[in-house]
Amino acid sequence: MSVIYLLIPLGIALLALSVWGFFWAVRSGQFDDLDSPAVQILLDDDRAPPPAPDARDA
Amino acid sequence: MDAVVCATHCFHCGSPLPPAGGFTVLLDGIARPVCCKGCEAAATLILAQGLGRYYEFRELPALKASGASHDWSAFDREAALRRYTHARVDGAREVSLQLEGLHCAACAWLIENSLARTAGVTRIHVNPGTARAELRYDPRRLALSQLLSAIHALGFTPLPLSFTGGIAAGTAERRAALTRLGVAGLGMMQVTTYAVSLYAGLMQGIRPELEQFLRFVSLLVATPVVLYAAQPFFISAWQSLRVRRPGMDVPVALSIGAAYLWSVVSTLRGHGAVYYDSVVMFTFFLLLGRYVEMSLRHRAGLRHDALARLLPDSALRVSGEQLERVTPEELSAGERVRVLPGERVPADGRIDSGSTEVDESLLSGESAAQARRCGDALIAGTLNLSGVVEMIVTQVGQDSTLAAVSRLLERAQASRPRSADLADRVAAWFVTGMLLLAAGVALYWLHADASRAFPTVLAVLVVTCPCALSLATPAALAAGTARLARAGILVTRGRALERLAGADRVLLDKTGTLTRGEPRLESVTVLDARWTQADCLAVAAALERHSAHPLARAFAQQRAAPGIRAVQSVPGQGLEGLIGDTRYRIGRLEYVLEGCTDTPCPPLDSTHTSVALGDSTALLAVFHLADALRSDARETLERLASLRLTSEILSGDRAAPVAAAARALGNIAARAGLSAAEKLARVEQLHAEHHRVVMVGDGVNDAPVLAAADVSVAIASGTDLAKVSADLVLLGEGLGGLVTAVETSRRLLRVIRQNLIWAVLYNLTAVPLAACGWVAPWMAVLGMSGSSLLVVLNAMRVRERRPASPAVPPRSLSAPITA
Repeated sequence: MSVIYLLIPLGIALLALSVWGFFWAVRSGQFDDLDSPAVQILLDDDRAPPPAPDARDA
Repeated sequence: MDAVVCATHCFHCGSPLPPAGGFTVLLDGIARPVCCKGCEAAATLILAQGLGRYYEFRELPALKASGASHDWSAFDREAALRRYTHARVDGAREVSLQLEGLHCAACAWLIENSLARTAGVTRIHVNPGTARAELRYDPRRLALSQLLSAIHALGFTPLPLSFTGGIAAGTAERRAALTRLGVAGLGMMQVTTYAVSLYAGLMQGIRPELEQFLRFVSLLVATPVVLYAAQPFFISAWQSLRVRRPGMDVPVALSIGAAYLWSVVSTLRGHGAVYYDSVVMFTFFLLLGRYVEMSLRHRAGLRHDALARLLPDSALRVSGEQLERVTPEELSAGERVRVLPGERVPADGRIDSGSTEVDESLLSGESAAQARRCGDALIAGTLNLSGVVEMIVTQVGQDSTLAAVSRLLERAQASRPRSADLADRVAAWFVTGMLLLAAGVALYWLHADASRAFPTVLAVLVVTCPCALSLATPAALAAGTARLARAGILVTRGRALERLAGADRVLLDKTGTLTRGEPRLESVTVLDARWTQADCLAVAAALERHSAHPLARAFAQQRAAPGIRAVQSVPGQGLEGLIGDTRYRIGRLEYVLEGCTDTPCPPLDSTHTSVALGDSTALLAVFHLADALRSDARETLERLASLRLTSEILSGDRAAPVAAAARALGNIAARAGLSAAEKLARVEQLHAEHHRVVMVGDGVNDAPVLAAADVSVAIASGTDLAKVSADLVLLGEGLGGLVTAVETSRRLLRVIRQNLIWAVLYNLTAVPLAACGWVAPWMAVLGMSGSSLLVVLNAMRVRERRPASPAVPPRSLSAPITA
């Protein structure tokens, strides 16, 4: 059972890491819009747009 | 059936197709009908960019595209750039836009994808929840005006928001709540795992040093949860104790604090029970409930936030021949201000020269551009879209319409319905009572079985926390107000919603409420055989262009005869002016006849208002004007009837037009020729018969009657807002909001009632169980947090959108149509 003396501190280190990661994500605005990204993947389309005369920026 | 619906409604905006249409767009090889040139242009642009999937995934039809190309070049001036954009060190600029017409994620996707292909746009994010777009662009390759017109071409109206620097207060609050929730959640996962090991150890036996290790680890993880995540509860409990009105956070703070300290002491002493699992679970679930409630509140507040940022930071004051840039605060009533296209109107005023189109969507919810001519009112904060106008300032600062709307919104957010106040008062007594009860339970158990005293008291404290009771009403109310605000309905007194739900009579004023309040030309009687109707109208229109009288609006649509000069106005009588060498007069019959040499006998029509036109010899024509009913009036009254609300017209107008209106609206009861006192008497009579009365008026002229009714609803037409004293204000054109308001208020009341019943039942059953010592602290935590979460989630149901009026069902659009 002595292995948990190693595993639990490791778990705590992981916890600290995830808390830090979560703080970073919130502060960088990752959670500000939770609605649109879910739909974006459905909308993004492989159909090529019909050839248009206007020059597009790559 | 779908094909029929689609063929009668515009593919792009969903409005009914005009009979003589002929505009179509081609999608998947099938011609889809659209209603106008504007929608055709917008839809063609969207399809040409390969973004046609927008039509499959959007939740609501788009706004009707105006088609007119606005001149946005005013936004390229240095002052505008400084105000609306933020220059980054790498030369790029950032701008925030409020987008009108943005309903759903599909709209956001459309804008993002279309603009991402525009040269010069380096970064774009559109948030459909807040209808805001954040853009970064390269000013050397793209002007701000090009950016704005690109969005406008897609059928959305962009409103640049002034750059405030940093993030909004609401965002900061939400982020802080989210990090607290995250810490509590992650902490909870760890601590409950340790707790499971400890419980298993209790049953199966565990080595003492291992048990002690697990307890110390739990202490380590629970400490940041208590000190950081649970901080708001301690602060708010302390604040409520300082004003001697113990709120729902007192038992929360007490249970968290006591359970944590007890556990710390047990851990350090090496024996005794620990409650780290209960502490972190309690914190997490409470934070979760508060977080959901806060997001409801924020949605209600977004509109207010947008309003507050509408005023421009400078205005162009005209003094004599000189122009000078001043701040809106420096303006005072009576001064002359020039408003350029693309600028926001700095103060309320009246146009003195020029004509333009303005966007009032943020104030009224009305998205179409409004034409404004000489003599019309301009409202501070609205966006001048097309022409250069000069206006005379009438109201500034706190007197302006914008300030009035903001104040109304603030009042609405500050005022809470009776049941919320009641719940708070009850909660204060309840908390005091429960603290005493907990003390009693503690005393009893200390004598009976001292070892079980602490867990039992802890369970009582946790279980009785009146969070559900206190959250029941405010959460539902925030959801309801947000929903109504989105539909263009301002709730100025929260209490009104409760009364509206129980109302059974609707009294409506006629002029300005059931009707548009502006006259329309019904018929023309030409009295001189040498004149055609069109000629008469042209002369009349030319003269009336110079009048600010409300009746003059009836001629605004007509083509005006050219070359009018020397126009003079006689207040209360009419106007005269010269075209060529002929002197024409328009106005009251007596006034026009005064100027003629002949005096024929004019035909008069008692149901209409008449305006006469004459030249220096004879009367030429009589115009009959009538005030048209609002297009949605009949439908609104029918839907009110289906909601068991009986409508009745109370009008001060003459009997004939009132009876005509009542007939046109489906033979509803009507009383004509009433004075304000008689209207008041009718309201009191209905009260005596135990009816609950909703009075709908324009909010200014019938203020005493509105005040007497159980619920007053005003139809605001912009400038009058500052004087409106109603419970509910319909900001948009039309009466349709009334039905939405009644439906929402009924749903709201139902949800509040369910919430309160649940909260009371829960407390009544859980408290005796806990006091008897049958509930372990962790069970109490689950029961109590579950009940608050249930209440908040139930409140969210108020926000649900019922399918709106006969809009096009979006999915059906992919069905083939043969037009």
